[in-house]
Amino acid sequence: MPDLGLEVLFKGSNMLRLLQGLWAAVEISLVSIVTSFPLGIILGIIMTKENILIKFLTKVYLEFIRIMPQLVLLFIVFFGSTKILGINLPGETSAIIVFVLWGVAEMGDLTRSAILSVPVHQYESSKALGLSKTQSYFYIILPQTLRRLVPLSINLVTRMVKTTSLVLMIGVVEVLKTGQQIIEANRMTSPNAAFGVFLVIFILYFLVCWPASIAARQLEKKWS
Amino acid sequence: MELIKRLVTFILIITLLGSLSACGSKTYSKKNNEKKGSKEIYRTLDEIKEDGTVNIGVFSDKNPFGYVDENGDYQGYDVYFAERLAKDMGVKINYVSTEAANRIEYLKTGKVDIILANFTVTDERKEEVDFALPYMNVSLGVASRSDNIIKSLDSLGKDDTVIVISGTTAENYMINNYPDVKLQKFDSYATAKEAFENGTGVAWANDNTEVIAFSLQNKGYTAGIPNLGSNDTIAPAVTKGNETLLEWINKDIKKLREEKFFHKAYDKTLAGTYGNEYKKSIVAESREKE
Amino acid sequence: MDFGYIEKVWPLYQKAALLTVKIGLEGVFLAILTGLFCAVVLYEKVPVIRHIVTVYIETSRNTPLLVQLFFIYYGLPKAGIMLSPETCGAAGLAFLGGSYMAEAFRSGLQGVDNIQKESAYSLGLSKAQIMCYVVLLQAVSTSIPAFLANIIFLLKETSVFSAVSLMDLMFTAKDLIGLYYKTTESLTLLVVFYLVILLPVLVAGAIAERRLRYAGFGA
Repeated sequence: MPDLGLEVLFKGSNMLRLLQGLWAAVEISLVSIVTSFPLGIILGIIMTKENILIKFLTKVYLEFIRIMPQLVLLFIVFFGSTKILGINLPGETSAIIVFVLWGVAEMGDLTRSAILSVPVHQYESSKALGLSKTQSYFYIILPQTLRRLVPLSINLVTRMVKTTSLVLMIGVVEVLKTGQQIIEANRMTSPNAAFGVFLVIFILYFLVCWPASIAARQLEKKWS
Repeated sequence: MELIKRLVTFILIITLLGSLSACGSKTYSKKNNEKKGSKEIYRTLDEIKEDGTVNIGVFSDKNPFGYVDENGDYQGYDVYFAERLAKDMGVKINYVSTEAANRIEYLKTGKVDIILANFTVTDERKEEVDFALPYMNVSLGVASRSDNIIKSLDSLGKDDTVIVISGTTAENYMINNYPDVKLQKFDSYATAKEAFENGTGVAWANDNTEVIAFSLQNKGYTAGIPNLGSNDTIAPAVTKGNETLLEWINKDIKKLREEKFFHKAYDKTLAGTYGNEYKKSIVAESREKE
Repeated sequence: MDFGYIEKVWPLYQKAALLTVKIGLEGVFLAILTGLFCAVVLYEKVPVIRHIVTVYIETSRNTPLLVQLFFIYYGLPKAGIMLSPETCGAAGLAFLGGSYMAEAFRSGLQGVDNIQKESAYSLGLSKAQIMCYVVLLQAVSTSIPAFLANIIFLLKETSVFSAVSLMDLMFTAKDLIGLYYKTTESLTLLVVFYLVILLPVLVAGAIAERRLRYAGFGA
């Protein structure tokens, strides 16, 4: 067995530092998710309205956010905010802004399609039963929408967690950067540390995202 | 519908407040000065002192000048100097890890107050930022593997690639003087060194101080070209127009030179790598140049 | 806007765009092959290989491309496997995209009615023939929208290639900012070039979706 630099992880507080780095990334995605999901649901409800202007604006917003690589958006917000607004945003805040913008767009689209996927006869039947519009929304439409929405939004969560790895590129010291620092500090004693450290980061991300993926699949199965 | 509307408004307000406080908590303490006509922002000396923390941009992967040690603490020649600057200023330091290519942008957008990331003074950079007095001498150098030492860039084969780091003076030099040499660019010291060790490229062009350090620290590498290009200096940089901070740093550097601080810094941070051989050439006090 | 600068760096962006598209398409092509293979294996419930495919899909879907690339480019050489940045980029995209393409094909395969297979069987077609001529063709056509969405996703993901020192659009923009400090111009060009590359795929996706709906496949 050649030396693949795994021993580096057990030196000093290295493993703990990696976990802290991972938390820095996950924290950004959690804040973004908590902020963007309610806003996204509202956007989704708005998007189902039959108004040409609203449809056009939301479509442009949605497609632009979707078509631009998140890294490009991160750069624009991180460096552009000073140029345009004259304020300085730290990497973490820039990242949260970008992920919220993205999350709202994706969540809005998911909500829209979930609402539209509720068959028309559901609206009609609840009306025939004498329910008011508010009642039918709350008791009939929303529960069905949520069932469709939950698995899809959990998938969005894993996508967001994965995408937070990009914040390395705007100077946030997260798990990859911490990994590089550890490799650097041990270059002379364990020249092969890159293998072990990056493998562990790979596994760490997997351990964060995999349970969410499984949960999404189970819910999808249960509710479909 | 009334209920939904109320619910929607409620959620909207909560999330807006949430996101505002999340953004605000990190930036509100900074009063930004916006110069008329330009969008560069910075904090004056008094504002930094009032805040109690100075943001200093350093490398986290350029051993032995700016790097993070095994315990996660910043170390190196630049960092040793940064600690002293902050001590003299009477404030705490918040280290910001930078890459070569975004050092200027970090100053222009006020993400750091001072760059102490081994920043070479050049005429082009002087247009964008203000440099203080130099604290180090530098020129370029090229490291290669000891079994295939590159002694001159003219001897490179057609397919040989040279590693450079994006945004460094070495990159600029190669583009202007050896436009035909194939360059492989990396965005950080960490990735460049890792790839060089893995066998990428025949040589690595960078600051001579760094390639010499790398060759001394790692077996199997030689700084085949120890001096290339012009003799330059390395100095702290601040955002253009931040005169109060610049003046203060200059005054402090003059004082530090008198007490031979940079010699001490060399002994503490660089002697372990270079021995005493390079002391005269690296420390700016020995080759006064203003 | 400094148009002299834009003119000066235009060829560099063009070169970067070509590289982005080239490696992007290589990755997409490999991802399609991987995805098709995985989808068929899962659909036909091929023993043993099925489990390997499942493990691969879970790994690929639950890790970021950036981390995958770091491991492939900087980690694997320590174990004696050295790949060029181009190969790494394409391989990384294929590794990531394979599972997404597999998912697109899988839902397409499930959409094919059993009666189609039964009819083909009664016509005397062999199992392989049914797969190729009846099932796969229909499955592929129903999965085209998902498929184009995946292509956009993968082309976007190329933006992390700077991590393995590939001069793609993103890295070129970053590099030029570091060389000439023209942030606004560099970022604007970056957005424009990405739009030029990705908008056609987006439009193609919209058209395909409409066509398929008329044909009664997607519904």
